[in-house]
Amino acid sequence: MATANAWVGQSIKRKEDRRLLVGDGQYLPDIVLPRMVVMGFVRSMYAHAKITSIETTQAAALPGVRAVLTGADVKHLGSVLSDMSTPNLPGETNRPIFWPLSIDEVKYVGDPLAVVVARDKYTLEDAIELVDVEYEPLDIVIDPEHALQADAPRLYPDWGDNVLYHQHIPAGDADAAFAQADLVIKERFRCHRTGGQPMETRGCLATYNPGEGLTLWLTTQRPHIKRHLLAEYLNLPHSQVRVIMPKDMGGAFGTKAPLYREELMACHLAMKLRRPVKWIENRQESLMNVGQGRDQIHELELAVKKDGTILGLRDRILADCGDARTAIYVGFAMPFLGAMYLINGYDIPNVDIDLTCVVTNKACLTPSRAFGSFAGRFALDRAVEMAARALEIDPVEIRLKNAIKTFPHVSAVGVHVDSGDFPGSFAKACAALDYDNFRQEQSEAWQNGRYLGVGFSMGVEISGVPSEVLVPMERQPGFGVATVQFDAHGKVQVAEGDSPHGQGHETTIAQVVAGELGLSPEDIYVTYGDTHSGPFAAGTIGSRGASYTLSAAVLAARALRPKMANIAAHLLHIEAGEDNFVFRDGYAILTRDESQRVPIAKIAEVALLSPTELPPGMEAGLEHTSHFEAETAGMHSCNVHAAQVEVSPDTGEYKILRYVAVDDAGQPINPMVVRGQIHGGVAMGIGNACMEEFIYDENGQQLTTTLLDYHIPSSLDLPHIETIEHNVPSPHTPLGSKGKGEGTPGMVPAAVANAIEDALQPLGVKITDLPLTPERIWKLIQAAQSKE
Amino acid sequence: MKRSIGITINGEVYEETVDQRLLLVDFIREVAGLTGTHVGCSVEGRCGACTVVLNGKAVKACLLLAVQADGASVLTIEGLAKDDALHPIQDGFWEKHGLQCGFCTPGLLMTLYEFLQNPKHSDEEIRTAMSGVICRCTGYVHIVEAVKHAIAAVEALSPEERKEWFPV
Repeated sequence: MATANAWVGQSIKRKEDRRLLVGDGQYLPDIVLPRMVVMGFVRSMYAHAKITSIETTQAAALPGVRAVLTGADVKHLGSVLSDMSTPNLPGETNRPIFWPLSIDEVKYVGDPLAVVVARDKYTLEDAIELVDVEYEPLDIVIDPEHALQADAPRLYPDWGDNVLYHQHIPAGDADAAFAQADLVIKERFRCHRTGGQPMETRGCLATYNPGEGLTLWLTTQRPHIKRHLLAEYLNLPHSQVRVIMPKDMGGAFGTKAPLYREELMACHLAMKLRRPVKWIENRQESLMNVGQGRDQIHELELAVKKDGTILGLRDRILADCGDARTAIYVGFAMPFLGAMYLINGYDIPNVDIDLTCVVTNKACLTPSRAFGSFAGRFALDRAVEMAARALEIDPVEIRLKNAIKTFPHVSAVGVHVDSGDFPGSFAKACAALDYDNFRQEQSEAWQNGRYLGVGFSMGVEISGVPSEVLVPMERQPGFGVATVQFDAHGKVQVAEGDSPHGQGHETTIAQVVAGELGLSPEDIYVTYGDTHSGPFAAGTIGSRGASYTLSAAVLAARALRPKMANIAAHLLHIEAGEDNFVFRDGYAILTRDESQRVPIAKIAEVALLSPTELPPGMEAGLEHTSHFEAETAGMHSCNVHAAQVEVSPDTGEYKILRYVAVDDAGQPINPMVVRGQIHGGVAMGIGNACMEEFIYDENGQQLTTTLLDYHIPSSLDLPHIETIEHNVPSPHTPLGSKGKGEGTPGMVPAAVANAIEDALQPLGVKITDLPLTPERIWKLIQAAQSKE
Repeated sequence: MKRSIGITINGEVYEETVDQRLLLVDFIREVAGLTGTHVGCSVEGRCGACTVVLNGKAVKACLLLAVQADGASVLTIEGLAKDDALHPIQDGFWEKHGLQCGFCTPGLLMTLYEFLQNPKHSDEEIRTAMSGVICRCTGYVHIVEAVKHAIAAVEALSPEERKEWFPV
């Protein structure tokens, strides 16, 4: 029977923290096996070059070195990409052919071309130094617009051009909308290359024996998906591949979702050498290879009426996908979804979006938190701001005028948005900032030579991705799945198929299952990560936790209640149906006479330890697996963020004085955990928008391969981030919960850029490019002043 | 080139013959098997996840050789709690959700262990104290709250209790 879930909405301390706080976490680098050897890569020093020779004899002769392989040694494995590991999207797609190691030609700085295996990492580093590679440099293409030119060097000559993917997304009648417009904003927006970079780099440990097959411990967000792709690539029966994400993982943010060449190499070597092979990526390799996201140019046009109504949008998007050599996403799944989510929280009926994804001599784009929608969100929310300024309409008013008003809503391009409340969210953001009085304060500040500004952004963030979207996009299901299983002592194991790594599933899933079964979160333990002990699922991606996975756990727990009631009734010697019991405080309690109760632990004991006491004919055991698929093509969280800044016109430096995030978690399960997700998302957004950038020079050399150069914000770089709840329960999840975490960084660049531009209104600065470094702002100020 | 050294970690003496180039962090993780100390940035000294307390000072263990710590006393995250009782800084992190993935946590705890012996109270001072350790998950908001929680707990300790929780 439906009872309120007593643990929902409670900010209890996280269950996972006890082990992490005392050093008892188990991360991939902590796992050691007997006879283990370590693997490392020789990587290209050139952005594009022919490999004329690889001299490995010296390295191979070094004591302690167990193997040195080059591309020629892995060619027989075949090309990495298959139909199963390539997005299956509408539009024209080219597919690169490549191997775990590059053969004959390298295509970016950091491209793996040889692998060394040694007894320890110090010997390994020595041996890598001893591999001598001769290159013949080739012409390079670093700029995506250059990549489109007829005379540009080709990464994949058989394609005929450098276009990886092209898709035209028209809806309504954009031409008619522009014909009716009073104002057209036409601007070119550039979002730089930036993204995830978790604190734990990638790593894996592979071991093989012919009896059981391959076991791969892997830093991954998607163990089950990796398993079936590995089985396919390595030509092993699915039954002989086991993938395990260790109990703990030091963040991922999308970067641990693709299938990478390095992990294929580790598996191959484990099979070849019959020894456990471990690989721990160093930070330099990480910065050369993963976490590089965003990187788009938007030629965006908005057709606007005098009253601020947006009639239509055109956008020509050019995405720089790098070399496109990772499986599952292949560099273009992110810009595709970004294009589909471009109009986002705005109700724009007529659109014409043209997306071109090109390859360049850079590392392949990897998914990064906000998956594809960071650049477009910046472009559109900036363009809307420009329209507001041109029409002298308040930035909040123009957004409210064009925001989705009624739910459910289907966007012009077909994105289903189930629930939200933009007016309510804006009201809370404005109240927090005392926006009504801000304009007065701002003009007084200007008179005193101080430049204060406020900027807003709004967003529709994915709350999980349904099968309807995920199957065509990645050939994977979107359902959430969980097995809820009583043990013989009345404790409950919940096995999920995703692989959480900081999101707090062990706590939030325990809370909801405890609430559904009348237990305490202490009684629930959540397991995950091992493909041989959890149900098949898509993985921890796209804010699926609180939307899909947790909902599956709720449904599975509810499904156990009739059997629990039947056992309880039998033990009490009463004829009763399931509805006659409530589950509370560890007891099954008869509703008509609450003195009649059975400890839930006793029910579990009967079901498992003493099945002779079960009702006649009842099957032993007390467990259920549920697959949750929402009855909608899209669940979302609708949010409003606002930044208040002060800019120094002399230096371009600015300080974010306030950052207010008004977020919709539906029904938060653990509000403290939700706040943590939002803080982290905003922090990554500020880092990405304001200070982080992967920089390639004109030779394709990556200049940001240490954390000193690629500046992830420290505690001194970030403001206090204020979070305000404005929750609209999801109509499609059993508890009304929504996923949080993925989309948040996408809110940030426009909010901050709008605030900076607002502050500098007297100087007439126009911001179109990221990152928002003081240098860039200073140059814009200089340019604006020289124009005057 | 090998050398025999002795390092005391969390009160236990490790006498080993090691390569001179062995990093202190590898001594801690691989020789002593104390994997609570993490490596996030491969000898750049930027991420701070490997921070330990050496002779009372928070240091980045990837920037020191094990031989440099010969004769030293090192405290790692494993040495903070006393049996089941958590150190005030651990307790603060737990109460205020100061960690998500937990990877940077050892570095922050050991950095703040030193800070808490002579804590300063403003948000700016707390943020300055922890700025040598990068956290990618939390945006630092809850960590600041965690530190404040810990400061209050430490200030309520008696001198004897304080000595017990801050032995080095």
